[in-house]
Amino acid sequence: MKRTLLTTALLLGCLIAGCVEKTENIDLVNDQAKAVMSLDYRDFDEAASQMVQSVIQSGVLNKADGSRYVMSTGRIVNDTMQRIDTDQLMAKVEQELMNSGQVVMTSAVGSESARDQTVYDVRELRESDVADEFDPDTVVAKKQLVAPELSVSGKIFQRNLRYDKNRQQVEYYFQLKITNLTTGLRFWQKEVILGKRGSNKTVAW
Amino acid sequence: MKTTLNILLVLAAVYLVGCDEPVDNRINMDDEVRSDTLASNYVTRPIGDAFSALIGESIDIKRVATRTTEAGFMEVYVQGYNRAPSVKRFEYRVEWLDSQGLMLETTTSTWLPVSAKGKSTFQFKAIAPTRNAVDFRINTRKEVK
Repeated sequence: MKRTLLTTALLLGCLIAGCVEKTENIDLVNDQAKAVMSLDYRDFDEAASQMVQSVIQSGVLNKADGSRYVMSTGRIVNDTMQRIDTDQLMAKVEQELMNSGQVVMTSAVGSESARDQTVYDVRELRESDVADEFDPDTVVAKKQLVAPELSVSGKIFQRNLRYDKNRQQVEYYFQLKITNLTTGLRFWQKEVILGKRGSNKTVAW
Repeated sequence: MKTTLNILLVLAAVYLVGCDEPVDNRINMDDEVRSDTLASNYVTRPIGDAFSALIGESIDIKRVATRTTEAGFMEVYVQGYNRAPSVKRFEYRVEWLDSQGLMLETTTSTWLPVSAKGKSTFQFKAIAPTRNAVDFRINTRKEVK
């Protein structure tokens, strides 16, 4: 009886161990894994790539004197059912716009995640109690910040539709726009739609 | 053996008869929209489709053109033709190269989808994200489902 129990326990152990899926690193360059109903990194890559190509192709960032536009990142609204850090999209877009040589992003003005608080912290040193500790020549003078000329803002939202009895359709809309802050005129706008169709049992959030 | 050969010959004949020239190449009429031909009517269409699959018809690249935009960015236009009767979906990834042939680091080099309608011309374009790109490489792969 004892032996049977031991054998059963051993078999059960092997069975459970065999069921554990091994962890593997994702090949981020050539990922052939199946699509998922939620947004994954490939969706953000695709959306960002299409956005960047569109804005460069449009030529709106081509300044007549060859200099770069100063751009701030405005509000990017996440109106999906998922907890998305919109920087996942914007970091790629900002990076490529800066690499294009047409834009320089500002960390002084913009949405909370785009701002760098240190820009203001170093300015507070001028009147702080520890001001004497700093070489006055290295403390940032007033009127040095450059105001942005353009702002990029946008929205990501999702629509869930019932496709048939067993399947649902989830549509993700990525919308970005670039506004000239002097005139308030919109320079460029683009919408990228990513659609997924899958089981009703899958939860897309 | 002889029977198989005969069947193949009949299939090929039906398929070739179906290759009628359109009035204007810019307008592509779907099989289910245009007037029937011997190869495209309700009865013989599956035979043509089967033959197409048998000989492995798929995507052909017909033209690759490049140009530099006013702002100095390289643009690539790729035009192809889907010889298969069904929609072919695939993905492409552009790698941009500098004057020394080295690959430029860019987040826009990602797999992007293309959908090519059956028996139709398709095209896609890409623009380099930096002015340093002077050449390119394009890889393709089957669509990830």
